[in-house]
Amino acid sequence: MPNLDRTVIEVDDVVTRFEDQTVHEGVSFTVDRGTLVALIGGSGTGKSVLLREIIGLQRPTAGRVRLLGTDVWNCTEAEMDAVRRRFGMMFQDGALFSSLTVWQNVAVPLIEHAKVPQELLNPLIKLRLAQAGLGPDAAEKMPSELSGGMRKRAAIARALALEPEVLFLDEPTSGLDPTTARGFDRLVRSLVDDLGITVFLVTHDLDTLLTVVDRIIVLARGTVIADGTARDVTAVDDDWIRSYFSVRTMVNAA
Amino acid sequence: MLEEAARDSTEPQARLESASGAGSKSTAVLRLSGAWRLAHLPRIEAQLSPLTLPSDVVIDGSGLTEIDSAGALALLMQLVRNGVDPEAARLAGFAGNEARIVEQVRGRIAQCQMPTVHRPQRMLERVGRTTIYLLRELVGHINYFGAAVVGLARSLVNPHAIRVRELTTQFEHVCLNAIPVIALVTLLIGIVVAYLLGLQAEKYGANIFVVDGVGIGATREFAPIIVAVIVAGRSGAAFTAQLGAMRLTEETDAILTLGLSPIDVLVLPRVIALMIAMPLLVFIGDVMSLLGAMLIAQPMLDITPTTFVERLRDSLEIKHVYVGLIKAPVFALVIAVIGCRNGMEVERDTRAVGMATTSTVVQSIVSVILLDAGFAVLFQELGI
Repeated sequence: MPNLDRTVIEVDDVVTRFEDQTVHEGVSFTVDRGTLVALIGGSGTGKSVLLREIIGLQRPTAGRVRLLGTDVWNCTEAEMDAVRRRFGMMFQDGALFSSLTVWQNVAVPLIEHAKVPQELLNPLIKLRLAQAGLGPDAAEKMPSELSGGMRKRAAIARALALEPEVLFLDEPTSGLDPTTARGFDRLVRSLVDDLGITVFLVTHDLDTLLTVVDRIIVLARGTVIADGTARDVTAVDDDWIRSYFSVRTMVNAA
Repeated sequence: MLEEAARDSTEPQARLESASGAGSKSTAVLRLSGAWRLAHLPRIEAQLSPLTLPSDVVIDGSGLTEIDSAGALALLMQLVRNGVDPEAARLAGFAGNEARIVEQVRGRIAQCQMPTVHRPQRMLERVGRTTIYLLRELVGHINYFGAAVVGLARSLVNPHAIRVRELTTQFEHVCLNAIPVIALVTLLIGIVVAYLLGLQAEKYGANIFVVDGVGIGATREFAPIIVAVIVAGRSGAAFTAQLGAMRLTEETDAILTLGLSPIDVLVLPRVIALMIAMPLLVFIGDVMSLLGAMLIAQPMLDITPTTFVERLRDSLEIKHVYVGLIKAPVFALVIAVIGCRNGMEVERDTRAVGMATTSTVVQSIVSVILLDAGFAVLFQELGI
């Protein structure tokens, strides 16, 4: 029986140092089940590093990360493996396996980790592609034949393969044209609303932040300086936040 | 059945019942219970596959603890297998979020049924494709070879156009940095050849002829071939990897856009550097393999270094050394052209760079051996 606690991600006083440079000086927040949460911050504030620390790719200098009830940096490899099957990760450029077709890419986690009956394998992979907004003709293609947007969708399909409870997205709309990016926003929102997945994303896309995201966490100066809905965050009195969101006010004013 | 369900409430269950409807007709009801999750798919399939669902079936989800899209897919695919239109199936008793999941899958069920064809390649097709690929590859190499030779000729006419900085950097990589490994390998080859010849020569008391054998063999054949193989694996592969990576990051396109020629900037310095480096490396190879032979000659065959050198001076005609050294720049040209072309024409994906690097090594070594055979015949005919 999966652990259905309300809190799925718990970052507690995380400190990260690279040699003499401190990236995080005590970052803490929690993420509730079934929400769409965005992490923002300027370049070099360690957003991607924090993401990697949450999913167990990079050890923080100090602090604790709990993901789906498991202490990521203080558990056995078997416990971590169990957690790995319950979340999906989309890397920035997709990180699709370049020697496999899209179909085979999505099949990898299904074949490795789930005993999917043979006659359901192809329908299930097609379902994942459809859930990621890809047509059936994309299945036969090699990653090198896909456009940037399709590569990201294929990566989402692979991340969704095991029906994860949490989905991590690293800059899902970077490098996409605005139309494709908005389609991506709708897709991510529907994953949360229709499938009940918790989505945690790192982004720079103001449209994503202001339209589909439930909650924004702002990382600056090594700590969380604002946390709440878009309205709450824009109201915070901070230079960086003001200049970040001012682009949008300027566009609206024009 | 009921006892089993009571024992574990998460066990996915599907029961087909007939319930009398309001009218005289009775309707079939498929009652689902337990957790219909991806992890339970084999058990879900085991429950569903024996059932034959009638077209007017009502699906009752009130007993479900949860259902995910994989569970919903299994359910709807069973309807499809029984010839029931999943769009027409009636759902009842599903919780709001569960109904949404089932509806979402139902909207995509047509797409899920499309077969994926993994077309196996037939043997004849493969032979044909490979032949065409090899012919294209050969024609491409010859074209590129031509372009490189034209470029070389142009830079001979106009030496100022040669990019000296790039040339010296490449020379350092392909020549100076290669000296230790080439010296070591050719030294060992010299020892081994002298040892094997010595074993035979000793039987006939012809120890001294080992010097003749090693002298001619090493300078004319072994040293050039061994050096060419090492250079192909070291520098040829490096050329492909460097240029391939530059193509991936669009650096070669940037060079072109800035009004420069990638051939002049990237390819020619590598070709020229390797053509200068190779005769020098072969010479080092000659010296080291003879040194290796000399080292083992004293303990094994009682030939002192002095005797060795004297015999070498008498028996080794200088033309053999020249033959080896003349072959070297030709090998270098071929290796450099193959390495650069495979790098410059690599497809724009990460896997292709790895495959191109492998091709470079294989193609270079095969070409070098073929060329060497050609040289052997040529020099034979010329009486050298």
